[in-house]
Amino acid sequence: MFFKPLDLTTALRPSLLPDETLLFVQDAVGLYEGKYKIPNYQNGHAYLTSHRVCYVAVDEPRKHSVAIDLKEIDRVEYQAGFLKSSPKVTVYPKPLKNHLNKSRSTGASPSRAQHPGLQTTRSQSPLPQTSISQFKPTPPQPINATWICPICTFSNPVPSNFDPSTATASTSIPPCLACGIKPPLTTLLKAAITAAASRDGSSVSAALATLDTVRLPQSNGTKSATSAQLANSTPCPRCTFVNHPSLLECEICGAPLKSASPLGGPSQNEHRSESPAPLFEQGSIKNTEIKDSIKLSFRAGGEKTLYERLKGALVQRKWLLYDAPPVPQQPVQSTSSPSLSVAAPVNGITPAPPRSTAVGIAGLEQRGLEARKNAEFVIGNAFEDLEALMASAKQIVALAETLARESGIASEDRAAETSAVLTESAEALGMVTTKDMLGSGGGNLYLSELSRNLAEYLTDDRKGILQKEGGIMSLIDLWAIFNRSRNGVELVSPSDCQRAAELWEKLKLPVRLRRFKSGLLVVQRYDWSDEKTIRELQEWMEELRQNPPVEPVPWDWHLFGRAISAQEAAQRFKWSVGVAAEELEMAEDKGILCREEGIEGLRFWRNYITSNPESQSGGVNVSTLSII
Amino acid sequence: MANSFLTSSSQQPFQFPPTYSFPPFFTPQPNAATRLSQLQKWSSLIQSWCRHHRIYRFSLVETIDSPLFHNTTLRKRLSLSDARNIIDWMAKPEEDGGGKRAEWIDGANKTMTWIWWRRPEEWAGIVADWVENTGQKNVVLTVYELTQGETTMSQEWHGMDTDAMLRSLNVLVKRGKAQVFGSEGQEGVKFF
Repeated sequence: MFFKPLDLTTALRPSLLPDETLLFVQDAVGLYEGKYKIPNYQNGHAYLTSHRVCYVAVDEPRKHSVAIDLKEIDRVEYQAGFLKSSPKVTVYPKPLKNHLNKSRSTGASPSRAQHPGLQTTRSQSPLPQTSISQFKPTPPQPINATWICPICTFSNPVPSNFDPSTATASTSIPPCLACGIKPPLTTLLKAAITAAASRDGSSVSAALATLDTVRLPQSNGTKSATSAQLANSTPCPRCTFVNHPSLLECEICGAPLKSASPLGGPSQNEHRSESPAPLFEQGSIKNTEIKDSIKLSFRAGGEKTLYERLKGALVQRKWLLYDAPPVPQQPVQSTSSPSLSVAAPVNGITPAPPRSTAVGIAGLEQRGLEARKNAEFVIGNAFEDLEALMASAKQIVALAETLARESGIASEDRAAETSAVLTESAEALGMVTTKDMLGSGGGNLYLSELSRNLAEYLTDDRKGILQKEGGIMSLIDLWAIFNRSRNGVELVSPSDCQRAAELWEKLKLPVRLRRFKSGLLVVQRYDWSDEKTIRELQEWMEELRQNPPVEPVPWDWHLFGRAISAQEAAQRFKWSVGVAAEELEMAEDKGILCREEGIEGLRFWRNYITSNPESQSGGVNVSTLSII
Repeated sequence: MANSFLTSSSQQPFQFPPTYSFPPFFTPQPNAATRLSQLQKWSSLIQSWCRHHRIYRFSLVETIDSPLFHNTTLRKRLSLSDARNIIDWMAKPEEDGGGKRAEWIDGANKTMTWIWWRRPEEWAGIVADWVENTGQKNVVLTVYELTQGETTMSQEWHGMDTDAMLRSLNVLVKRGKAQVFGSEGQEGVKFF
């Protein structure tokens, strides 16, 4: 499982894939990898969609936002809050052995072995990788060092950055994960030293054992591999119980067995050293692999709803409906050189490999061959297992959904069930933010999400709401259109709409709310300014001076042009009449226009009262006073 | 007196400024800067119009229908209250923009106004200069002679309203440069 980079919309929400729907949003969420907090990812919004779990930090959201695909999640666990520790939802990735089994079941074809999901785990070509890890000068610190909390006897892991040789009383010690009380330094020191002592002997033999188990399936095939695994059982480093090799945790005491597990070990050791850039240390976790588990820590509640909906989403498996993760282009030479497979695309996120440069008929033929290979791969992949088969049968999934809802898997009680139904119907109607969808964070989150939602709605190029309205529209119009698009369900109240619009500036969204002198509230693009409007008005006025009016006029139109009314301005700039009137008055206020009240109503002229019509630049001729 | 502009010697028609044919000129502008400019233009228009027609005072109610306030080609006119506001502004002292170019004759009623296209002080100076140049110091002149006499035919103030002339002469009296005597309608003046 990987932290994937996340595309954000203009309103700094995750941009959803086609068919993907937003299920839940919660603010004040922190991210943990394993037991440790990830820096820069401690205050943000968690977005649960039908396909992903997304995280967007409040500060620098473009930099610090990641997503995890639901399809890579094995299971989720809920952990209630305890004393100082916030409630958490733990997400476990699908174990790596799954991939191994899958690759075995596909048979001996070398092209099949290049399954994209397997390439991402980097465990596909274990032989060279294992040798790399063996020659590594400094083996990583053992993860299985634990200390027992003297208060609650919970066994905690010793932090990986804890070095017993340099630790002093001033070294920061993490509190107990269960009760939140800091242990005495000596407890930690003892645990670290014991672990270090026990590791020295075991590490080399473990690595050698790993090498054996990995080489065997490659050379001898499936049967000998399983037998080798059975023979190679793993003693627990803590309680010395001899575990089955495929177990990741000790059956008796629960201590992690990673160092000895056949695939977890090498891939883990190799990971940090072979990573193209030390991303994790820089605070960017995009594209890094999640080895153990990740946790979402809910500082402001909402964990239960998210947990329920996440479980529901995992049951529904909506991502199967989504055919879109485009079938990755198969690297042509990858079978021969294992080094290439490491850099292979991760579900189309990394750019496609460069096309081969063959030209002419040879090139066409080669491309045809590639296409055929690809098609073959897709077909082979589709029948690989039942999951893939389901992808082609939308009805089955739809059925599974209904069943899940009816049996109440997604929700424990009635209220939650009805809300789930509501959410679903809301999704069907194309709504995005509803009050029901948001956590207990309360009104503020609702408003900020609504605000983002409105901004997205306005700037959506497909709908082009703002463009149609000439780049400016009154808030009331927006409210009406927005509610109409919600088809009469989950309507937004006028006050919520206004308050959400007032948040735009704070959230740095690309639209802004503007109050005219008369109190009329309008919505504009962020970069729209009065100067721009004035420039357009002036251009128009200049145009009117060039083109003769339709009817003969008693004044010199070469000099003064013609009057414009709010209706005309509205028509020309596609504004609403109210907005046009306000804009004209704004220009008048700036001294660009002047008004004429007559039987035709209020009309506006270029201001030739202050400026001289002869001089284009509009020099003020106050000097006419001294005519005597 | 009321229709004095009709009887005056207007040999050629008055040339209105370009803004006179600008329709918004007849609508009071809400923008302060535009309004100030509008008032200044109206003030200068009224003054030059009065100067052309040798008008020193007029009744607002009657003049409102004159071409000054009524542009027949545009079919635009200034309303009575708008015209009154403009005269009010003109009556303000220099620092408020008006420069005392107008003065209500009947105070609060605001129906009759002086238009001082030359203020009394300015007239006083001109008359005094003329007296000096023509060597008429210490000579007694009647006010009628001054305004209507043949000797002043070439002068700017010829045909001047008697009251306006008396206002100007009073300035000189205050300065100690002249003395006005005689009963009403037969005033005489002596320059020092």
